[in-house]
Amino acid sequence: MSDTTINADATQILGGGDAIIEVDGVDKLFGDFQALTNINMRVGAQEVVVVIGPSGSGKSTLIRCINRLERHDRGRILVDGIELSDDIRNIQEIRRETGMVFQSFNLFPHLTILDNITLAPRQVRNMPKGEAEATAMELLERVKIPEQAQKYPGQLSGGQQQRVAIARSLAMKPKVLLFDEPTSALDPEMIKEVLDTMKDLANEGMTMICVTHEMGFAREVADRVVFMADGQIVEVGTPEHFFDNPQEERTKLFLSQIL
Amino acid sequence: MNNPGTDAAVGGELAQALAADHRPLHSDQTPAEWVKNNLFSSALNSVITVLSAAFAGLVLYFGIQWAVNEEWEIIRSNLRNFMIGQFPKDELWRPWAGGLALVGSVGLGSAGMARNAFDDAIEKGLPTERPTWLGLVRRFWSILAFIVIVLTFTRTILPTLGVLAGLGLFVAGRLIGWSLPVGARRFSPHVILVGLVALSTIIAGSGGLVAIVGGLVAALIVSAAVGDRIDRTAISGKVAALAIPLLGGVIVWFVMSTVDSFGFGWKDWGGLYLTLFVTVAGISTGMPLGILLAIGRRSQLPVIKGFCVLFIEFVRGVPLISLLFFSGFMLPLLFPPSAGIPDGTTRAMIVITLFSAAYIAEIVRGGLQAVPKGQTEAAQAQGLSAGKIQRLIVMPQALRAVIPAMVGQFISLFKDTSLLAIIGVAEFLQIATIANTQQDFLGKGLQPVTYAFVALGYWAFAYTMSKESRRIEVRLGVGTR
Repeated sequence: MSDTTINADATQILGGGDAIIEVDGVDKLFGDFQALTNINMRVGAQEVVVVIGPSGSGKSTLIRCINRLERHDRGRILVDGIELSDDIRNIQEIRRETGMVFQSFNLFPHLTILDNITLAPRQVRNMPKGEAEATAMELLERVKIPEQAQKYPGQLSGGQQQRVAIARSLAMKPKVLLFDEPTSALDPEMIKEVLDTMKDLANEGMTMICVTHEMGFAREVADRVVFMADGQIVEVGTPEHFFDNPQEERTKLFLSQIL
Repeated sequence: MNNPGTDAAVGGELAQALAADHRPLHSDQTPAEWVKNNLFSSALNSVITVLSAAFAGLVLYFGIQWAVNEEWEIIRSNLRNFMIGQFPKDELWRPWAGGLALVGSVGLGSAGMARNAFDDAIEKGLPTERPTWLGLVRRFWSILAFIVIVLTFTRTILPTLGVLAGLGLFVAGRLIGWSLPVGARRFSPHVILVGLVALSTIIAGSGGLVAIVGGLVAALIVSAAVGDRIDRTAISGKVAALAIPLLGGVIVWFVMSTVDSFGFGWKDWGGLYLTLFVTVAGISTGMPLGILLAIGRRSQLPVIKGFCVLFIEFVRGVPLISLLFFSGFMLPLLFPPSAGIPDGTTRAMIVITLFSAAYIAEIVRGGLQAVPKGQTEAAQAQGLSAGKIQRLIVMPQALRAVIPAMVGQFISLFKDTSLLAIIGVAEFLQIATIANTQQDFLGKGLQPVTYAFVALGYWAFAYTMSKESRRIEVRLGVGTR
């Protein structure tokens, strides 16, 4: 395995670890529109993969297929050795192992911050209330807003809400975290606090797939950067090679537009 | 009726509503300044004020004149009819006992729920206030005023004593409910439902369908009450979760069927009591049914979806009157031939329930559509099951969004019960018509008197419902805006 390779092969894991997510030949159609075409990708344990690309390139669809918010039409997806099928128990098992952070936070507005975080552990993992709340407070310490525990989402700033959303996904102790443009709905001054939280997570060894437009974050934290366009993986590489020495014309064009 | 006291009460109510908004009335103004600023700030304003005052004075003058000169004897001699219809005199203990049981359990349950909400708010550091007796009077003043007016028409002291007993039970229930330990207070909503079942057991007392419905309701109550406490992962827990509610249901069914052997059916029941009972029953059975229909309408399964759409659109597309007429022909088909045509009250209950279910289903569907898709996705991504997503995430938000529409539906259902007269149910409004055909009052032109009395009764309850809905909205809106 060469660290300097830059190509269209996203199945080579960098940064060690066994494959925890395997995507083999996945196609996804929305009616006549082909959102994903023959995607092959692997993500290793403790690896941080950043997926970038123009809007409509299928990057969100890809990670939404991994926890079955979208159903893929062809190919195989394995998460921690479990293959995604139409069996609901199978899907539930995979969803327990993967956390997801959304662009629009999607906190539950009728529940307090604490209840937002303890809901899934208590309902899905049957964790006792006291234990769930202790874990939730630990997580809130970790994202640095323990004092907000009894408030409602509507009373928090966007950045705080997104950090709560991260804490909420962590409460299920997932093996993988999926980030779907976590900073795109935030005011500029709040982006940093969320990115810092994500960096901390990466440094602690969390396996992450991030769809993002934050190139600084990609450069600093990613083990691998995957560039997608028109539903296909165009180019893959380490951040240095990807940003400093892109090979494909499509990548160069994209980078010239956003950098 | 149109006395100045009522107007003063309206003014007090307004002040209360404003105070509840935490927008202080301009406290730095003297009354004279307030009058100047609000009533005589310009020439045009002064003219409008004078004209309005003159008009209000005229209405008040003629209203009082009318009320004083009018013959109120018709209300006095028909008061029992207005309240409970042709209820057999020997059986009057039934509505009283049922009513007292209900009032006591409502006091207990509502105080328990209020305490839960109060403690919850304290724990979360939200602004809250202890409920006060004065606050309760303000919330329900229109109903209380109506009760007082009714009592002025009584001939004996007994009804007044009964109302005072009810008041005493309610106060005792509030005091006990407020001071119960947390564990017992968890069951507060169920206490109220048990009171409702007690009411129907004691009064309705009719076997057959009513007993079955009562049994089902009791089973649901018990199941909700014990549900969270049973560990369903073990086999014994699963058995208990099924057996205990079943047992509760069977007991209530048995009691209700046995009460029937006293030989008293509920078809003679009427008046305001019936109107209120049909409304409450229509709401409390129509709402779960309506929620199920709304969920069913969004189902992926074509059979379920088709049935729900068909039912909702049929009921909504047909006037309530025609449904009531048809119930005489259609409902017997659902019963064994030996049962004969169900009596008017039973038919009315079934039709009102199905009718409100269809309308509530559409209201709830609107609420469901208002919940963003991201909410479901976030819950799915956490591994929650479809049922839990509906129950814990989607439904609470959907129902909160539709409270105003829902209460509007309740109020119109309350008033729609006046249509039950056409299938021979002597509900509140019908009594006014009946009273005017009595020999003593026939042709005396006393319709305005009776209808004014009935209108006041409807208004007293509808107004409180509407005010309570606003209160719930404000309370649920806390911290989420």
